[in-house]
Amino acid sequence: MNERNYPKVVNIKNKNLFSRIGAIREIIIFVLTIALFIVFFFTTKGIMFSIEALKIIFVAVSELGLAVIGVTMLMISGEFDLSVGSISAMGALVAAKLYQLGLNPFLVLVIALIVGITLGGFNGFITVKFKLPSFIVTLATMIGFRGLIYVITEGVPIGFRVFETHPAFYKFLTGVLGVIPVPLIWLVIITIIIALILNYHKFGNHVFAVGGNKETARAMGINTDKIKIICFMIAGMLSALTGVMRVTRVRSFHSLQGDQIALLAIAAAVIGGTLLTGGMGTIIGAVLGTIVIVLVEYGLIMSGIGAYMYNVVLGGVIIVVVILNNVIGQRRK
Amino acid sequence: MEKLLLMKATDIHKWYGKIHAVNGVSFTINRGEILGLIGDNGAGKSSLLKVLSGYHHQDKGEIFIEGEKVKITSPADARALGIETVYQERALVDSMSLARNFYMGREPVGHTGFLNKRKMAECIDVLKKIGLYINSPDYLVSNLSGGQRQGVAIGRAMYFKAKLVLLDEPTTALSVKEVHRVLDLVMEFKEANISVIFITHSLQQVYDIADRFLVLENGEKVKDIEKDATSMEELTRAVMGEINA
Repeated sequence: MNERNYPKVVNIKNKNLFSRIGAIREIIIFVLTIALFIVFFFTTKGIMFSIEALKIIFVAVSELGLAVIGVTMLMISGEFDLSVGSISAMGALVAAKLYQLGLNPFLVLVIALIVGITLGGFNGFITVKFKLPSFIVTLATMIGFRGLIYVITEGVPIGFRVFETHPAFYKFLTGVLGVIPVPLIWLVIITIIIALILNYHKFGNHVFAVGGNKETARAMGINTDKIKIICFMIAGMLSALTGVMRVTRVRSFHSLQGDQIALLAIAAAVIGGTLLTGGMGTIIGAVLGTIVIVLVEYGLIMSGIGAYMYNVVLGGVIIVVVILNNVIGQRRK
Repeated sequence: MEKLLLMKATDIHKWYGKIHAVNGVSFTINRGEILGLIGDNGAGKSSLLKVLSGYHHQDKGEIFIEGEKVKITSPADARALGIETVYQERALVDSMSLARNFYMGREPVGHTGFLNKRKMAECIDVLKKIGLYINSPDYLVSNLSGGQRQGVAIGRAMYFKAKLVLLDEPTTALSVKEVHRVLDLVMEFKEANISVIFITHSLQQVYDIADRFLVLENGEKVKDIEKDATSMEELTRAVMGEINA
């Protein structure tokens, strides 16, 4: 039995380098982020590096980033959620409405998160139980949830002035600690938690497995439906969190709130190296992708180039990064 | 060696809509026995495999393991009962590392569910024992050859002390050299007293290593015979079935 001649060592050094593809994608996006900072430093004549400007930028990064984290984890599991913007608005609306009724804002936040989990769970349940593409399911719920918001508000803005009545809540969710905006602290904490779960927890292993090859995961005894539904729920919860965060900060709910989030979140995930087909992606990369998206927007505005160029440049960035990722992905083989 | 009964299946039926994919198949398998499950495409081999591996529950019939009646309703059930399936195409997740694949669904974890990475690195040593040398547990599975992938799946079944291993066309996509490696590994199962059901439509490959053959045709068992009592010609005729009849 000892005469089988297996190759003694499978590994070749440079192959090993490319097998750590996730890390390489993170490096690309990291370099891109730094490059953008440098470019905009000159085009904005340094304005972008003032504390005030950085605060604004990182609040925007945090509010989008929370949704991005949920969307990325979901994409790694092989599914999409286009309804995260509508869910975030629904969370904000529930918070504003219940606050109007006199509920404590902390309790209101918990209820809003539960609403987010429920709506995310609904997306997940419909997707896995009826074996439908989540792209279509959440396209429908994106429209439907948003419609429900209009039904409830009839388009009228709702005030959410916790800033005056419950300053502690305002500080807890969207205040400033020294020079650091609290949303950024939330983003960092949740990034670390989700990244740890994905890379070092059994659940994360199952998320990658389900997204990488659902049939294999199932054959290995993993309850793939359950994993996917939980990912939908987490995406819903984080969307609701960012919705409440935003309505707290701007102090008024508008029915259009968060209508850009879904596509920007998917863009951030993709820029950060997450595969549209699932099974691969990193939370750190996605958060860096979020920074790129927000930097492009504010950098152009602060450079005086104008907001209209934003979508043009962003579109270009997405294509370039995807091409880079793809080239590297092929060199791996 | 004394023959100890491992599994008994009686009168297994499986319908897919109007298609009677498995029609009243009964069989037994002893410990350490290699059973060749053969038949043409569409004969019901895969459907029977899916019942045994928990992918689909049988519509009728009973399964006993070591004399005890069992209900296999999910792949997790099958694994818990010591039935390990090595699928041809979906044994491993390409985009994941060797260690993550090896322990998939049975990750070594602490109380909080976090992975014990040190323990997971041990899969390298496990694979060395069956002659598969890979020097990093973080190695991406997509870089392995077909034979190495089968080796990983087989090593996994041994490590987790499977009682019965179901091999689904394990050699189809492999080079001739790699086929022999996989057949060697199957013999190691036998040495470890692990039973194997080797599913294939290629009689040549399984003929040398199998102890007994089960031939299916149109979902029915048409032959169940020890190797000593049959010949390649007889089995070939059985597989060809109605064409010659």
